Amino acid sequence: MPLTFGFKDGIIAGAVGGVLWGFVSMAVNSATGVFTPETGLLHDTVSFALGGGLFGVVAGGIIGAGGGMIPFRNIFARSIFTSTLIWLILRVGGAMLSTIEPERYHVLTPEALQGLSLSALLGAMIAGVWSFWKGTAGENGKALKA
Amino acid sequence: GWMLIGAAALVLIACAMVVVAFGMESVAPGVHDAFHDFRHVIGMPCH
Repeated sequence: MPLTFGFKDGIIAGAVGGVLWGFVSMAVNSATGVFTPETGLLHDTVSFALGGGLFGVVAGGIIGAGGGMIPFRNIFARSIFTSTLIWLILRVGGAMLSTIEPERYHVLTPEALQGLSLSALLGAMIAGVWSFWKGTAGENGKALKA
Repeated sequence: GWMLIGAAALVLIACAMVVVAFGMESVAPGVHDAFHDFRHVIGMPCH
């Protein structure tokens, strides 16, 4: 009997994975140099943890409650699909805002490409946290089925 | 019952995520500056 990724599991794994993802995003951006931070390290650490936690909880909750609406069985595929879809929806909203208020919401392609990659990474991290939490090794791989 | 409360909370958190993602000062004053770097790094439109 495969383990199931429930709504509550999604919230918890999403919160943990999201906060970790916030820190990883900072490290990835430092490595790529796509955006030069304009605020201090302490400020960014807090804001990335909060922002990552927000995104993670929403993604995890949707993965947990999505059931048959998400077109994959593998938890990694489900998570990456969901987190990337959330990012794309927000990006489309952002593009609409760009047309309304181009001064305030202008589009930067390198940042968008980095963001798309990071959104997929968020899904992988949520699935990774859940698999680690539920003990994939002990389940002989069955934990990877949602 | 608890799950419905959780679902309602998730909707509120999703709204907060949108406010953060777009830096909506009209909804939450200060949110633009607080999450400025975060929005740039994750590729959301920003100035």
